[in-house]
Amino acid sequence: MPSNKPHTSTPSPRAAAGDSNAPLVELKAVHKRFIGTHALKGIDLTLNKGEIHAIIGENGAGKSTLIKILTGAHEKSSGTILWEGREIGLRSPQEALGLGINAVHQEVVLCPHLSVAANMFLGIEEQGFGLMRQRAMIQRAQATLDDLGFRLPAAAPLNSLTIGQQQLVAAARAAMRGTKLLIFDEPTAYLARGETDLLFSLIRRLKREGVTIVYISHRLEEIFELADRVSVLRDGQLVASRAIGETSQAQLIRDMVARSIDQVHHKEAIKKGELLLEVDGLSGPGFKDVSLTVRRGEIVGLYGLIGAGRSEFVQCLYGRQPKSAGRVSLRGAAVKIASEADAIRNGIVLVPESRRDQGLCLNLDVGFNLALPIFRRLSPMGLVQRGAERAAVEKQISDLAIATAGRHAQAFTLSGGNQQKIVIGKWLNHGADLFIFDEPTVGVDVGTKVQIYKIFAELLKNGAGIIMISSYLPEVYDLCDTLHVFRAGRQVAAYAAGEVGHDVILGDAIETQGSRR
Amino acid sequence: MSENTPSDPGMAPAPQKAKSKFEFLRGLTLLGLLLLIWIALSLATESFLTTQNMTNLMRQTSLWAIIAIGQTFVIITGGIDLSVGAIVGLSSTVVSILLKAGFPIWAAVAITMLIGPIVGAFHAFGILRMGLPPFIITLASMTGLRGIGLLLTDGLTITGLPDEFVNFSRESFLGIPALAWMALIVAIPAFMLLHHTRWGRYIYAVGSNAEAARLSGVSISRTIYLVYITSASCATFAGILTASRISIGVATTGESWELQSIAAAVIGGASLFGAVGNVLGPVLGSLLLTTINNGANLLNINPFWQRIIAGALIVLIVWLDQMRRKKR
Repeated sequence: MPSNKPHTSTPSPRAAAGDSNAPLVELKAVHKRFIGTHALKGIDLTLNKGEIHAIIGENGAGKSTLIKILTGAHEKSSGTILWEGREIGLRSPQEALGLGINAVHQEVVLCPHLSVAANMFLGIEEQGFGLMRQRAMIQRAQATLDDLGFRLPAAAPLNSLTIGQQQLVAAARAAMRGTKLLIFDEPTAYLARGETDLLFSLIRRLKREGVTIVYISHRLEEIFELADRVSVLRDGQLVASRAIGETSQAQLIRDMVARSIDQVHHKEAIKKGELLLEVDGLSGPGFKDVSLTVRRGEIVGLYGLIGAGRSEFVQCLYGRQPKSAGRVSLRGAAVKIASEADAIRNGIVLVPESRRDQGLCLNLDVGFNLALPIFRRLSPMGLVQRGAERAAVEKQISDLAIATAGRHAQAFTLSGGNQQKIVIGKWLNHGADLFIFDEPTVGVDVGTKVQIYKIFAELLKNGAGIIMISSYLPEVYDLCDTLHVFRAGRQVAAYAAGEVGHDVILGDAIETQGSRR
Repeated sequence: MSENTPSDPGMAPAPQKAKSKFEFLRGLTLLGLLLLIWIALSLATESFLTTQNMTNLMRQTSLWAIIAIGQTFVIITGGIDLSVGAIVGLSSTVVSILLKAGFPIWAAVAITMLIGPIVGAFHAFGILRMGLPPFIITLASMTGLRGIGLLLTDGLTITGLPDEFVNFSRESFLGIPALAWMALIVAIPAFMLLHHTRWGRYIYAVGSNAEAARLSGVSISRTIYLVYITSASCATFAGILTASRISIGVATTGESWELQSIAAAVIGGASLFGAVGNVLGPVLGSLLLTTINNGANLLNINPFWQRIIAGALIVLIVWLDQMRRKKR
């Protein structure tokens, strides 16, 4: 069997496995320059055989660039890369794949129209006489999935699975490719806890088989659960590489941003005002019988697992989906919200879950995105007043410290955290009474997180109310004045801030989900 | 993205059943629609269900099907080939010129067939190296190749092609017209390539997510070369057959066939967004379009109305198809 054929199951005795402290990859003074940016400034990094090496850093610190260099998607500008002591160029994805380097990306990078099995075998199809052995591939893929404990159908089209399940397919796909170095870029951002556990057991198993793992995550507790060593990037430079036993969350956060941990979940004491929103027995597609209130100056949190019905609830509140029962009152008067435009007119705005798909026009410029909701205001006679547009846009860029080459830069050129700032900024430009934030800090670096929390406080002080959805319990726990727990489309509990501990809330959220925790 | 599906990894969804049943249904409903039109036409006219008319129908279908199959390859990658009509015109004139110049048939056909790879490679080069959108580079060929054809013939019609060449399109084998056999000779390898080789899989992969394909080690450029050369070659082949069928070489042959081929592919279920389509679809789509033209002729419908009807049917069929897809 040729060496690049996938191996499906049982740990094959790898020559490298015993040799655990020898470096697999060494980066020496690696630089990467793009037009206008110096993304990596002389990185020295050693990845040892068979270790789980976490890499952390704020968005824009250079993590994505580093991965792209390791996977051959970008070529380094200068420096040396050694692979098992031998110098390599890493000029193309093919070269990286040939060495046994694979990656599982943050956003699933697979072909949604192909089947699970076809994705797993993409580029390494099994053939006989020039034709594909389709049945054999489906069987092999199914065997791999079953063996890993992922109960997913190999013959199903990928786009019939949830994002979390697709992420697991991506991981299984990488695992079966006879990999030596496997890079996970924030794989758990869209995973439910049960799926995260499956992924972690896969990662630990690969480590036992001698695979070197690079693990990138903003969730520090995951890193302490999983990693052997951790490296911190800041502004394109490597700050430190440490053994996980010799460091602490507080130290890592200081390395990343020079900011201490209790400042991250920034929360100010703000007086609650009058009743702003009252929802009574609202039902709609994916959720049933939800009642809650939001006061001016209050953050109401919605916590639950992915699929619990929280996004469906706010989408209905925002007029994207029709309600089937219940009443909504704003500022004491019943309102009927039949469309997004109705919601915005009534002073409700939504910062959606997926900034790429729902929040931004990625191939238009930063200025356009920031001005999009207010073009009506900017064009009183039908013509857009360019001066007013520029002023509104520049105000948000400087207020929010959006790191961009300028308002004419295209939105996709910005890092995740800065893209999120644009989505928030466009609604700050517009103004509203009730702000709904759906997973506002997913894939956002610590610095931007703090900034987002400060914006929350600012909005509250000005008399707005906030509904915030988050799957990250410490965040909603620390920030919210009232916390509603959702499970399987139902509102199962509500607590005031600090009323109960994390364990109670987590228990409410997962009770019937059969999770192992 | 959204939270609308429960994501317990332990669940065992069965969507592939629904999908395959649905694929089958789409072929069936298109066939059903065809049968319906055929039955209606047989009842409404005396001339529809005659051997002569059926043979005629199959001949025209075959020419369009060959082009539409190539077009479908391009469409699956998310591209489009507007040049196929012009290629038909050019290749029909080139093969006629060569035959008139005394080349034996095999040589004239072989030389003409070079047009496919040359034009297809030019398109792929333009897309990959010059960064032009497929729409633009093939639009340029659409007018440019027509011009070459007109220049070569000085705008005149080439007549007096050898009898053996002209007779080929009129022959039948086992009761099936030779042109229909030619369509099969194209369709079967196309089916094997698209559905049973890894190259076929890469065509879908490039249309679905080119970046994912690239990161999997798939060569995007080879795939793009493959589909545009396939499309141009299919059109060249159809052009040679068309010259045989109409027994003359005219540079304006095949005008608007690029639109017919796109319509046939889309009626057959291909998506202009890429990654969706198969080989049977464009064949059925061509059959439907030919039937509409043929039936309208037999019913003595004003040809101007024929165009309107064809346009309305495209909207109707594709809309119905999308409704079905949404319901899934």
